[in-house]
Amino acid sequence: MNYRLKKVAVLGSGVMGSGIACHLANVGLDVLMLDIVPPNLEGASAKEQRLRNSLVNQALQNALKSSPAPIYHTSFAQRITTGNFEDDFEKIADADWIIEVVVERLDIKQQIFEQVDRYRKPQSLVSSNTSSIPIHLLAEGRSADFKAHFCGTHFFNPPRYLRLLEVIPIKETQPQVTQFFMEFGKITLGKQTVLCKDTPAFIGNRIGVMSGTEITFLTASLKFRVEEVDAMTGSLIGRPNTGSYRLQDLVGLDTGDKVSRFVMDNVQGDTYIDRLKKRTPPAFMQFLLDHHFLGNKTGKGFYEKTKEKDAEGKTIIKVLNLETLAYEPSQKPNSTVVKTAKGMELMDKRLQYLVDGESKEQQFFKAYFGALFAYASNRVPEISDQYFPVDDAMRAGYVWDFGPFEYWDLIGLDRGIALVEELGETVPEWITSLKKTGGTSFYRFEGGQKKYFNINSESYEALPDTKSYILLDSYRTQTPVLKNSECTVHDIGDGVLCFEFTSKSNSIGEGIVRAMSEAIQIAEEGQWKGLVIGNNAKQFSVGANLMGIGMLAMQKQTDLLEQMIDAFQQMNMRIRTSKIPVVVATQGYVFGGGCEISMHCDAGIYAAESYIGLVEVGVGLLPGGGGTKEFALRISDELSEGDVQMPTLIDYFKSIATAAVSKSAYEAYDLKYLQKGRDQVCVNTQLNIGKAKEKVLELAEFYIPPTERKDILVLGRSGLSVLYSAINEFRLGEYMSDYDVDIARKIAYVMCGGDLTAPQQVSEQYLLDLEREGFMSLLGQQKTLDRIQYLLMNNKPLRN
Amino acid sequence: MEAYIIKGYRSAVGKAKKGGFKDYRSDDLAVDIIQHLMAKVPEIDPKQVDDVIVGCANPEGEQGLQIGRLISARALGKEVAGMTINRYCASGLEAIALAVAKVRAGFGDVFVAGGIENMSVIPMTGYKLAPSYKANLDNLNYHVSMGATAEAVALKYGISREQADLFSFESHQKAAKAIAEGKFVDQIVPVEVESIFVENGQRKSVKHTVAVDEGVRNDTTVEALAKLRPVFKNGGVVTAGNASQTSDGAAFVLVVSEAIVKQYNLTPIARLASCSAGGVDPLYMGIGPCVAIPKALKIAGLQLKDIEQTELNEAFAAQALAVIQEAGLNPETVNVNGGAIALGHPLGCTGTKLSIQLLEEMKLRKQRYGMVTACVGGGQGIAGIFERFD
Repeated sequence: MNYRLKKVAVLGSGVMGSGIACHLANVGLDVLMLDIVPPNLEGASAKEQRLRNSLVNQALQNALKSSPAPIYHTSFAQRITTGNFEDDFEKIADADWIIEVVVERLDIKQQIFEQVDRYRKPQSLVSSNTSSIPIHLLAEGRSADFKAHFCGTHFFNPPRYLRLLEVIPIKETQPQVTQFFMEFGKITLGKQTVLCKDTPAFIGNRIGVMSGTEITFLTASLKFRVEEVDAMTGSLIGRPNTGSYRLQDLVGLDTGDKVSRFVMDNVQGDTYIDRLKKRTPPAFMQFLLDHHFLGNKTGKGFYEKTKEKDAEGKTIIKVLNLETLAYEPSQKPNSTVVKTAKGMELMDKRLQYLVDGESKEQQFFKAYFGALFAYASNRVPEISDQYFPVDDAMRAGYVWDFGPFEYWDLIGLDRGIALVEELGETVPEWITSLKKTGGTSFYRFEGGQKKYFNINSESYEALPDTKSYILLDSYRTQTPVLKNSECTVHDIGDGVLCFEFTSKSNSIGEGIVRAMSEAIQIAEEGQWKGLVIGNNAKQFSVGANLMGIGMLAMQKQTDLLEQMIDAFQQMNMRIRTSKIPVVVATQGYVFGGGCEISMHCDAGIYAAESYIGLVEVGVGLLPGGGGTKEFALRISDELSEGDVQMPTLIDYFKSIATAAVSKSAYEAYDLKYLQKGRDQVCVNTQLNIGKAKEKVLELAEFYIPPTERKDILVLGRSGLSVLYSAINEFRLGEYMSDYDVDIARKIAYVMCGGDLTAPQQVSEQYLLDLEREGFMSLLGQQKTLDRIQYLLMNNKPLRN
Repeated sequence: MEAYIIKGYRSAVGKAKKGGFKDYRSDDLAVDIIQHLMAKVPEIDPKQVDDVIVGCANPEGEQGLQIGRLISARALGKEVAGMTINRYCASGLEAIALAVAKVRAGFGDVFVAGGIENMSVIPMTGYKLAPSYKANLDNLNYHVSMGATAEAVALKYGISREQADLFSFESHQKAAKAIAEGKFVDQIVPVEVESIFVENGQRKSVKHTVAVDEGVRNDTTVEALAKLRPVFKNGGVVTAGNASQTSDGAAFVLVVSEAIVKQYNLTPIARLASCSAGGVDPLYMGIGPCVAIPKALKIAGLQLKDIEQTELNEAFAAQALAVIQEAGLNPETVNVNGGAIALGHPLGCTGTKLSIQLLEEMKLRKQRYGMVTACVGGGQGIAGIFERFD
């Protein structure tokens, strides 16, 4: 049966309930969120609907105000209606899916589900977001239809941002219900769905508890300081920049503690946990919990942000000394091993180095990865029939770049086995089989597909999602159509090419500019249908290669720079006017030059989590790769006979002049980077290249390219004067520096087509020339060079 | 021949965008007020009115297309002429001055003069902000926003955030007290407004009467005002709480010649002794009254100490405080019933509305000379001095 969802009821409005409600609204569902009537209502007020719904309404308001925003666009909040359990429960009869997110108490959840069973329509889906109650207990005593349509759907906080959705069927759950949630969660909700068994803490938290505990014990036994461990367990090994302890402060130590206790109390036959129960936890953990130092929410945890400032005016951050249990000023860790490892760009080399030696750091990593590999491998098939869901869960739920088995592949299968055995542990049977059948890794790429070793059939099989997810890693074994140090052009099948950036942070340099024209030429001259510009990196692109531009500018290589800018502009015009459709697929940062490329494509598939902006002003420049020209063009297209024009001009101008960045792809429509009808938002980040490929194929049928426009209405002086006045306001209000004013006026000049005495139609090339002149004149200013240098050195903008 | 003010009425002042007049056009409102005014002077046939002079700060969109003429035709008959005039925030006072001047020049005997503004529908800058490029090359501050001028005035005259907030708090307190005492009841024409809207998919019609100024908050505190964020400047003084409110309203007076007074045996309430405007640097627009007041006093042959009562338009607390300080006004006699921070500032209407309020208060206090003064956008000030008769 094909479930068609439109209405969803969310029962419970706490942090998770509200967050889930917002994310369901994000994807267009009608959401009814219910919670209890506040217990303290008396007399006449007990009948007032406003007061009876006050708890749920307040919770929703708090969520909507929280940062980062739980909702893609503020207007989506209207898809959520609220009510209370006493007056509105029967409204769940309309719901196609009812998700329970009330307090973690079995008796209360059972009462709620009894009500759900009474009011729900037959065939409607029911699920629980519990993280700590066995799913089958929740269905006890319920009707057969309820049980057949019931399972666990476990989101991670915050639901919009953490990509993991664990789906936990019970034995009565109809297989098509499970299958539906796996697909719906992936395609519609944009999640990495992971099929779990009804075992304590499912997959993510089960592995997460072990990993966190092991780091804590190793910190104590090897006598590391907090900052040292954070430097070792952050981006160095592909994990969140915070590192382990600062992340605990962020999440709240009590949250982690609750899950740990739950796992300790409930798992069976888990030798690691059994041993753990006999070990005395490090004194510092108990100290923090006893003193209620739970992290940021209580003011301190492992770290304490003080109100004191140092000599340079920076806030002094203190850190817990794990031995003396006193807070003292934090010190910048200074480890040669960490530094050496950081210098290694390739993650496999880096990790191999980290587990190869006897330094304190290397002892830490050997013990940690050995324990992680032993634990994760021995949990299969206990918590999952296959191992790849474990990797999926850790990547999506804990924001690791690699799951346990991916780390293992990077370190090497045999080296990993040795690490396990050095700890006196053994690897499970299925790994022995994997080796016996000649396997040398957990994953392998073959024929454009990523494959895993099926432990039941004992052979390598394609991962279930490879059809819809285009993972460019899968194409690395085939000969690229084109390649240089900044990019690779892959044949991704069906006559479609994919232009992948591979430079540092996907910055756009001369290599990409050159290859783009070549790729388009290859596509036009060959039998290719079109081109996708996309990659699987976290950030689509941080923009033009600032280092390169800055160097040339400091050397006063004006001619070379001008050629470069011209080439960038012409590349974008080529993308626009080529005889093949070019479609962009983005995620993460889409900044500056990356944004300009996107705006010149024939269409775009933007992951909802795309943060888009023309941010050039931050480095003292204007968008010089056609971005400012493109804004002028879009303004012209928006103007209609008789309208007053200026508000449209100001709207567009503000985006560039304030370097506005969207907090979601949907917001980018408001900021004018995306256009309705041309650009599309895709909730699942991993689907964007696949969808872009479909779009190319759709456009490729009898494709006729756009030609260069010569009918762009620019406003000249009348527009310029309005913008000068607006800029003056910003200056008077001290929101802009004098130099900001100079830059903003240059942007205004390009957007208005210069100081024409009357509105007039001009060509794209005329505007590109203005744009290039403005860009070059700014590059000749010392203050711009200072901004560029400052950003490169400090990774934050300078306001001069 | 001297000109006399016979009577004046105003609407209550509605909160822009959310108040009682948010969907009620200012021309419709003007018709209501003028018809009420003429009904209160039955001796005079509406057809006798020589001209209707309507002050309006943003005469475009809903207030465009010669709104003054349309008001005269609808309120008094198509035989009666009407025009729109604009001196921005002083339009309502300037309309009275123009009527008086026409009578004195012998260009007519009966005039209806006043002002209107619906700020709910028309943006503060008008629909199309389109400053002159040449002007901007000369001086960017010709087109500066009002808020930015208030910040400039605060900086120049040393007005602090605390002073501005305290002034605003007092404005609300005084206004709340005045309303509670019923001081405005006689001057306000209650207007019935019908709202037609869709609720739960059903067309609904609700009628309500707007008869009380809506902007006053008697529950505001200095602490609450202190929490608001500066709007126009990073770390600045001006907030939504210590600036005038955007509002909707209309106000009109009847001005007649001495001959008409005698012919119909009317009882004038006052005459406009003088009305002067002057210019200042547009960046310090708020200080404008300081140049206008001495001019007006001189023409009236009076000294500042002769002025017993003043209505100073509170465009911004910072600006009002600077004017009181620099012009040497006695704070005890300024805005005794609160000002625009509490009662609202429907731009083109304000000058007439303040004149009516001034004369009513002077009647209670049996005073002879009073003044209405305001700063005016673009760097101007205006002052009008009234002499009241018993």
